[in-house]
Amino acid sequence: MKRIIGATLIGTLFSLQALADVVVVVSPDNDAAISAQAVKRIFLGKENEFSTGVIPTPVNHESNSDIRREFESEMIGRSSAQISAQWSKLIFTGRGKLPQEVASDAELIELIKQDSTVIGYIDAESVTADVKVVNLD
Amino acid sequence: MKKVLLATAISMALASQAQAEVRINGFANFVGGMTGSDESVYGYDDGVSFSEESLFALQASSDINDRMTATVQILARGVDDYDVDFEWAYITYQATNNTSVSAGRFRLPLFRFSDSLDVGYSHHWVAAPRNVYDIPFNDLDGFRVDYSNFVGNWEFELGAAYGTFKNDVAGGEIKGDNAYIASAEISNDWFSLRGVYGGAKTTFDQAQLNDIIGGVSAASPSFGDFLAIDEDTANYYGVGVEIDQGSWFIGAEYTEIDIEESYTPNDTAWYVTAGLRAGKWTPSVTYESFEGDEVKGLDELAQLPPELQAALRPVVFGLNAQFAESYDVATVSLRYEFDTNVALKADFSRYTDTLNNDTETSLGRVAINYVF
Repeated sequence: MKRIIGATLIGTLFSLQALADVVVVVSPDNDAAISAQAVKRIFLGKENEFSTGVIPTPVNHESNSDIRREFESEMIGRSSAQISAQWSKLIFTGRGKLPQEVASDAELIELIKQDSTVIGYIDAESVTADVKVVNLD
Repeated sequence: MKKVLLATAISMALASQAQAEVRINGFANFVGGMTGSDESVYGYDDGVSFSEESLFALQASSDINDRMTATVQILARGVDDYDVDFEWAYITYQATNNTSVSAGRFRLPLFRFSDSLDVGYSHHWVAAPRNVYDIPFNDLDGFRVDYSNFVGNWEFELGAAYGTFKNDVAGGEIKGDNAYIASAEISNDWFSLRGVYGGAKTTFDQAQLNDIIGGVSAASPSFGDFLAIDEDTANYYGVGVEIDQGSWFIGAEYTEIDIEESYTPNDTAWYVTAGLRAGKWTPSVTYESFEGDEVKGLDELAQLPPELQAALRPVVFGLNAQFAESYDVATVSLRYEFDTNVALKADFSRYTDTLNNDTETSLGRVAINYVF
């Protein structure tokens, strides 16, 4: 019984963590107008140009991370398996390459500092002056 | 031409290896199955077999520059004793944000799932419906242009391909020249509709058939010419529709293949599939129907002198019997997401040979699909 309560508590903690606010971020130098639909298209491999004509470099978190799962269900609106199936179609017909993956928000911010074409997502609390939060409303 | 394209694709892939990163991806389907009686279905019989539909593929791709990518895919099929085959080799040029052009050898983008047919992980079946997808020509040597764009919530994709195909089938060789395909698809978040039209000058070369047709031609050159598949026009039509609401989906496809002047029947195939997505589980049902049994050439035969008619009639019916096929298949399938890139599947099918007294055979299969 104790164990069940323990497990429930841990489960609750995890789900609280997963409810953290995810924001889409780009370089402050990126002047493109980016809509929620554009984010979705970029991360599904359907869009390969920002409104400024620059080729975007989407960057994902690791596939089993909570933030990746939340981004996929909240912003793309599909399960990881569906998204992964969609990418496998693109990869094996030569029409796309999988986004690079990072292990932490800090790593993504570091990438954005080096490459102004990167687009990714982080916890709202990790935002620094080195990135610009994309307004998706 | 084909050899040149292949050689170019490979040498470019290799050349760029020195300067650019080479991405290695791959996929594997490990499929086992058996039938419930001694009738065989899709090569399976009443003993378990793992070689009929299992396959392993490796793909290497490399960016030549910002807009050009070279891709080589090698594939080993269990049914070919896992002999390695250069399935695809092509160069893709992203001409604009919306348009890409590929040249080389690639999968003929005929029907809805043709492109990624072998990537079991990308769909919910153990194997895509055979009635539509089991066609004797898969790979096109030539060019392909893809255009995609969107207006509001609607996306549209236009595709065109041109080239030649050649495949060993039924102890002979089927060859298509001037093969072309045009396809159009519109979709939004939950709905998609696709149409395709294609054609090719088709030749089927098989020793035994050549002898039979030769015999017919000796008696009546014009009727021999009618029956022979020798640079005859083959037409392909297809329409597909899908509604996907995330937690459930339903899809259907209707296709037709016809070589007008020949001994092969006009083939009509369709399927309807529907499924649920409940967490890691995707249960689904599929119903397929294939019809290809009309006897061609009877009108032409009727115009010949009576004694010729009597002599040639058995030949016409004999050829038809070799190629006629009609069947229905009902399948229940289950997919389980084992990991982000591994799916486990099982299905059970009831195959009804509608040409042969509705003989029924059941087939059970299990599969592991992997992509990396």
